[in-house]
Amino acid sequence: MIKDNEFEALEKIVGSQNVTRDEAILDTYAFQWCAEIINVVNDRPPARYYIRPAAVILPATTDEVQQIVKVCNQYKLSFKAFSTGLGPWNCVSSERTIQVDLRRMNKIVKIDVKNQYAVVEPYISGAQLQAETMKFGLNCHMPGAGPQVSPLASATSMGGPGFTSASTGFAGRNVLGVELVLPTGELLQIGSLGLKSGSDWYSGDGPGPSLRGIMRGFMGAKSGIGIFTKVATKLYPFPCEAKWEVTGESPNYEFHIPNYLKFYIINYKDWDSLTNALRRFEEEEIGFMCYYGSTAAVCASFAKSRQELASQYAIHTRLKLPLTIMMAAVSEREYQHKQKLVEGLIEETGGKDYTPKLKIRDISFAEALRCLLGFHGFLITGAFQSTHGGMETIDMAARMAQLNIPLKRKFIDKKVIADDRGEGVWIATYERGHMAHCEMPTMYDSTSSESIIGMTEYSHACDVMDLEEHLAIPFFIEGDKHHEWYGPHCMNYHIWLRKIKEAFDPHNIADPGFYISSKVQS
Amino acid sequence: MTLELKKLAEYKDIMERCLRCSMCKWIPQVQIKSWKYAQVCPSIDEYNFHAYSGGGRMIIALSLLTERIGYSDELLNIIYRCTSCGACSVSCKYLNDLEPLEVIEALRKKVIEDGVGPLPAHKKYMQLTEEVHNPYGDTHSKRLAWLPADVKVSKNAELAYFVGCTTSYRRKEIAVATTRILNKAGVEFQLLGEEEFCCGSPILRAGAEERVKSLIKRNIDKFKDRGIKKVITSCAGCYSTMKADYPRYYKHDIEILHTSELLEQLLKEGKLKLTKKVPLTVTYHDPCHLGRCSEPYKEWHGQIMEPISLVRFPVPPKPIRQGTYGCYYPPRNVLKAIPGLTLIEMERIKEYAYCCGAGGGVKAAFPDFALNTASRRVEEAQDTGAKVLASCCPFCSTNLKDAIEANKINMKFYDLTELVLMAMED
Repeated sequence: MIKDNEFEALEKIVGSQNVTRDEAILDTYAFQWCAEIINVVNDRPPARYYIRPAAVILPATTDEVQQIVKVCNQYKLSFKAFSTGLGPWNCVSSERTIQVDLRRMNKIVKIDVKNQYAVVEPYISGAQLQAETMKFGLNCHMPGAGPQVSPLASATSMGGPGFTSASTGFAGRNVLGVELVLPTGELLQIGSLGLKSGSDWYSGDGPGPSLRGIMRGFMGAKSGIGIFTKVATKLYPFPCEAKWEVTGESPNYEFHIPNYLKFYIINYKDWDSLTNALRRFEEEEIGFMCYYGSTAAVCASFAKSRQELASQYAIHTRLKLPLTIMMAAVSEREYQHKQKLVEGLIEETGGKDYTPKLKIRDISFAEALRCLLGFHGFLITGAFQSTHGGMETIDMAARMAQLNIPLKRKFIDKKVIADDRGEGVWIATYERGHMAHCEMPTMYDSTSSESIIGMTEYSHACDVMDLEEHLAIPFFIEGDKHHEWYGPHCMNYHIWLRKIKEAFDPHNIADPGFYISSKVQS
Repeated sequence: MTLELKKLAEYKDIMERCLRCSMCKWIPQVQIKSWKYAQVCPSIDEYNFHAYSGGGRMIIALSLLTERIGYSDELLNIIYRCTSCGACSVSCKYLNDLEPLEVIEALRKKVIEDGVGPLPAHKKYMQLTEEVHNPYGDTHSKRLAWLPADVKVSKNAELAYFVGCTTSYRRKEIAVATTRILNKAGVEFQLLGEEEFCCGSPILRAGAEERVKSLIKRNIDKFKDRGIKKVITSCAGCYSTMKADYPRYYKHDIEILHTSELLEQLLKEGKLKLTKKVPLTVTYHDPCHLGRCSEPYKEWHGQIMEPISLVRFPVPPKPIRQGTYGCYYPPRNVLKAIPGLTLIEMERIKEYAYCCGAGGGVKAAFPDFALNTASRRVEEAQDTGAKVLASCCPFCSTNLKDAIEANKINMKFYDLTELVLMAMED
């Protein structure tokens, strides 16, 4: 699919060892988590392989990225970039597309301790950034997808909620200065980075109109608007003693829990009490983490195996609507104060402290700080995806969660998704209760066509529900087909999105597969 | 349930369930302490394309199995540019239940069964092993050429020191130090001399399982014929092969110990006295085959239960090899017992230690890759501030020494036995 002269032009940029069109290597870029669902959505067989790229290239610098994009323009090749590359939206959507794997751009450019931000390249993982910022008593927002994924990708190109969103916001709120290679090959520096004199990374806005919304909006463009090569992201004071000591051997690790860190799992009997509690805990700014995860999610988060999960799930039938709070402090006095406050809030909101009844290992504290608790979701069946994905208010999140239960149960009854009683929900609050994010983690069997097709149907039904019930815009409204469907119901936003795409990418060079095409597709 | 490596097709379900999460590229996430030493796979570090990771090789194996791709030189390179160190499996299995290392091994087995592998360098050393009983092609009758005249060797001790090919021919100082320590500690041992053949590790790692079975049987029978009840070895490769792999193909009741385990035992019993000061600052490299790869395979008899729809798990739980019970503490305890010696740890240790880069047939087929990997490991050792890098494996020793020399680094390498000998009175 790529001609010799085109391939040679790419070789000249990065050297022959950093570009390939070998079919074996290309196949590893077509294979993706949840690609089977995207295949079904696009009327293809439910396989884990999506479309094979024409070539894969590994640039090491922004300059190389620019040259690659220019070659793509010259030969009318599309490009699709990814950082750490988890998820089907990293796949190319047409065969004449170059996959730009940014793995060699792996530096922490700067940690500005005084002004609390870090500048990172695409292939820096959350765990790497956290480990380095901790040395200065600082912390970063960790993407909910896990510590192994890229904060740059999360900040610029994805939704970016996280387990610590109560105190660190979501990824889109953490973006400061940005360096972006546009689909034309030009370099765009956003925010204070673009100043002619005294440029630096400290602000994502101005001078002039901010481009933060355009470059990412709600869910990001997934490389559909260019290639992000550097981003500055906010840092926060580490919530407790910045100490990290893990001993023992995998999987029996022991974490020497830093001082002043405590988990609370608080049980609520009804949704009104829970939403009130979410609001009150946020109002009091008490939680480093503050989220609702269903009983199944709580059991999975703290289990080390499916067997343990199943037994815990069977035991904790009295755990109805659990609110998870991680409380952190930096001094004994603050700790005592916060503990009293939490206990008072539990009483005030009618909750019951369920924590002593759960088996929470020391290592779960490390997994919480490092944002690894969510990854336990994969434990359940080996495959999961979330549906819905709205980001709006606590009320919307609670309404969405309740509306979804009967719908989910229909698919559970068909045995195409795992049985979490229909209650599998994650609601994370942001910005002290001003916002909330709600998604429905759903486990299925990626090796069963029946389950994959059932999961896809359920996912679509959730999207329809969002529309019909006037809930928030869901996660997976991506690509022309979905935008054409959703746009007319939502102020024709897709027309404006397409105008942005056309302005930045008139030739549709940046793969629009998980964004939008610059022209209406026939 | 047989313990033998399964056919690639039997791993199809596992390969299909790879999430492409890339956990296999990093040390376990909760162990990450820095930007610099967060990664764990030498292969992806060197070649960068996803295909060169544990997960990537699972995808390639699936593509090959389902005939999406065919054989090519590049494919063979991808399959063999892996030290089969098993670090990917440790990281994957911290939360997941896939088997990247076993898939890589099954993939190598398949390419040999299909007549397209291994690579010429591997074919050469496999042939030499069969002809002259060592992969280097050195003269078999000189296998004991390292043995000093004053070392006392018993003819009928129940303990045998299995020297191994690399120690016998390339790292003789380890053999000399080991035997002198045993003499000083009053431990009787026998040497197999010309009756010692290669343990079979190089053949097994290349994927030629069928070719190694007779050698395994021959070696076990030889131990039995000579009345040997316990074998010690100073080579990590021999150790994991005899301890973990041999029982998969030929059950035996011979106790296999690494020298570090015996030395620790002797220290506890007061038979080994370390009295001379060795004022060195040392950091210790865990050989993959002494650590995470040395865990024995265990049989499992049970069934898969599904108490909740789609939530399936084995009952009783299947034993999982993930490096939990590797030999990590004996070498450290011995080092700590040396007066005056200060042990400083690197960031990547024990079950998530970074490989030296030599194993899996890499040193023979891709010497530059092996050297680059060792250079990364030596840099990590240097960053501790230690002046000495120590380990417990002649193959690691060779590769790490090569890196120290190639990079002109002011650091010495010693095998554990050499340091122990320094601490013993004359």
